[in-house]
Amino acid sequence: MDWTALWLSMRLAGWTVVVLLPVAVLMGRFLAYRQFRAKGLVEALVMLPLVLPPTVFGFYLLVAFGRNSPVGDLWQSLFAHQLVFSFEGLVAASVIFNLPFAIQPAQRGFEAVPVEVREAAACCGMSPVRSLWRVELPLAWPGLITAMVLTFAHTLGEFGIVLMVGGSIPGETKTIAIAIYDRVQGFDDQAAAIMSAVLVAISLFTIAVTYWLSARVGRRLS
Amino acid sequence: MALEVMARARTPIPLDVAFQVEPGELLALVGHSGAGKTTLLRTIAGLWRPQTGRVAVNGRAWLDTAAGVDLPTHRRRVGIVFQSYALFPHMTAVQNVMAAMDIPDKAEAERTLDLVNLHGLADRKPAQLSGGQQQRVAVARALARRPYALLLDEPFSAVDRATREKLYGEIIELRRHLAMPVVLVTHDMNEAQLLADRMVVIADGRAVREGTTAEVMADPDALRAMGIRELAAMLPAIIVEHAADGLTRLDAPTGSLFLPGVEGKPGTRVRVRIMAHEVILSRLRPEGLSAQNIIAGKVVRIVPGVGPGVIVYVDVAGHEILARITRRATDQMALAPGDTVHVILKSMSVARDHVARAPDPSQAAE
Amino acid sequence: MLFNRRSILATLAAIFLAAGPVAAQDDAPVVAAASDLQFAVAEIAKAFKAETGMEVRLSFGSTGNFARQIREGAPFQLYMAADERFIAELHADGFTRDEGDLYAVGRVVIMTPNGSSLAPDETLDNLAAMLAAGQITRFAIANPDHAPYGMRAREALITRGLWDDLQPLLVLGENVSQAAQFALSGNAEGGIIAYSLALAPEVGPRGTYALIPEDWHEPLRQRMALLNGAGPMTEAFYAYMKEPVAREIMERYGFMLPESE
Repeated sequence: MDWTALWLSMRLAGWTVVVLLPVAVLMGRFLAYRQFRAKGLVEALVMLPLVLPPTVFGFYLLVAFGRNSPVGDLWQSLFAHQLVFSFEGLVAASVIFNLPFAIQPAQRGFEAVPVEVREAAACCGMSPVRSLWRVELPLAWPGLITAMVLTFAHTLGEFGIVLMVGGSIPGETKTIAIAIYDRVQGFDDQAAAIMSAVLVAISLFTIAVTYWLSARVGRRLS
Repeated sequence: MALEVMARARTPIPLDVAFQVEPGELLALVGHSGAGKTTLLRTIAGLWRPQTGRVAVNGRAWLDTAAGVDLPTHRRRVGIVFQSYALFPHMTAVQNVMAAMDIPDKAEAERTLDLVNLHGLADRKPAQLSGGQQQRVAVARALARRPYALLLDEPFSAVDRATREKLYGEIIELRRHLAMPVVLVTHDMNEAQLLADRMVVIADGRAVREGTTAEVMADPDALRAMGIRELAAMLPAIIVEHAADGLTRLDAPTGSLFLPGVEGKPGTRVRVRIMAHEVILSRLRPEGLSAQNIIAGKVVRIVPGVGPGVIVYVDVAGHEILARITRRATDQMALAPGDTVHVILKSMSVARDHVARAPDPSQAAE
Repeated sequence: MLFNRRSILATLAAIFLAAGPVAAQDDAPVVAAASDLQFAVAEIAKAFKAETGMEVRLSFGSTGNFARQIREGAPFQLYMAADERFIAELHADGFTRDEGDLYAVGRVVIMTPNGSSLAPDETLDNLAAMLAAGQITRFAIANPDHAPYGMRAREALITRGLWDDLQPLLVLGENVSQAAQFALSGNAEGGIIAYSLALAPEVGPRGTYALIPEDWHEPLRQRMALLNGAGPMTEAFYAYMKEPVAREIMERYGFMLPESE
């Protein structure tokens, strides 16, 4: 059982959630409330990480963040080490490939807020910020929780992109999914089995929470 | 604190309307669905913006497309009651009301709920309230905003008839406390005639008639947009006594009126809506008729209509009663302005919701 | 109710923020080692720690893959390749401190899992016979594109004249460890893997093996080099590789050692 790898995966998932939460709120709300001509294109772009093969995605991320890229060079000059093959690089990649998991459910959550309720909030004198805090979030939060839970669980399991962008550096980028792969190659079936069981348990928990929350949103809408 | 509204647009629906509402006045926007009434309300509230428009309260512009002024909704002091009430489902009734206050004050919010007859229900959530109760919370919330204009968007359409009658009475009662202009959108002419001081009839986005309720309701051209069957007169009356057989005797300027079970204590002032098509005319005072109400009057004018009908305006003790009869009848009777004629009214043809409490004339000036 | 939910989220966030990425910076340097060294170098690192108290982090994988990652800036401090060609190329491009040291010469074996219909023999006659009879369904080697042990396996098969017939049946491991995994999983009749893996206690009992003649392929000259930015701990480990304890471990795993300097 590679506790370092598990802890690293949990931290990676946690940081991804922290970064994506405001993104999910702002983008989810924006897409839920506004109609504009390019909306279909924006939604398709958000969904892109879902349909791209992880290796393709990992390759493009390497090109975008790696050595000899503007982003990579900037990072290197600021922090004296590469963005790729670092934990921060994994967080950056993770944030991008989790966009659909974070934004989509959040958008559904905000769509569940009736238009007239939002208009009523404005008529009560609430500015958009106050309306978000006092009316929209209390009504849309199940969608946001679903978004965060899905993002967390998906990050725990991600393999291809993490391997390409992070390598497999113990304590830095060797996540539990990679550790399982590594133990199988090391003919250590027992360790691989234990770690797999832990991941399965976490995934089941995620599914249970998501279903329970979806039921709540459903009841609220009816 | 008068409210001025002007809106012109071509898309998505054609619109060309302008009107003004005085403080304390209730103006009804009437017309069929899709005519643009709700759009006008949303324009006042800032939820929609016409191509050209101006909304001003007491001279201060909320919207002025010519001057580039467009205050966002939350900066306009407007109270609106939506057709679906749009209460915040996660808040209790009192919390809903407090949400509209500048400085939330629970005691004040509870007093507002008392004002709309919701005492004791402050801690219920909307899901635990009936339609009529939710509507009252919506009204309380709109009032708690201390709005410069109160907007009601078909607020009674979702409740049953009995509750609606009750709510009419409450709104009329409430108006005694309101100093602001009130705009009511409705497709129900009965509602408009009972509640409104002035009316604007809207068809296809244009105002086809504007005036006091009495003027508009007696104008067949105006009512062609709403359905000529809505033509009616309003008679003020006072409840005198309730008879044992279920009829109520009222005292009207035209004499005694007998109507089925009108609610209210003796002495209550009411307004009675008399539909033109329910009125029969007779030269001689008839005898042996089942009708309980026979009133003498003088023909003022006869307005021919489209088809076989005409409208006869009969003056009865200073009030006008309208009768829609056939041209053949007027020819046979040789009716002409100045003739004496008897107005015959079936008691049972006056529906319960055609009678409403009248606002107290002594307080109407407030 | 909402307050509770939000505070749960806030608490979770605090946990992850508190143990931020800063905590992940261990001082232990990372060594990139070819997969055939998986068991041998793990043992050596253990002994190194017991003796000096210093720790290195090990990352095992394909030699070629590591070379690519090093070029992209991977933070390895020591590169132990299974083929000195990769060291030479990196050195020419300025990624290594010097030309490095030859630390071992490896061998390939043919290995088959217990219960396989194929019996390993050093002439590969059995393999040839079964192949001709159409009784081979799958055969595992490391990927010859970037794994040295895969390249040697390919050379050996070409020498023996079996490559063309065997190629459509090959299962390619991303590195020689994965090839061993495929070879012994029971889903293939067998494969050609590293001698050092076959000798490992975790692997050996799973099948039988036979050494493939050295002159059937280019020698597996395994070379290691310190990379730019290597620190004192890595230097110590580098030196330790030449110590008797380390050399003994390497020999146990079937590596032939260059003469001590």
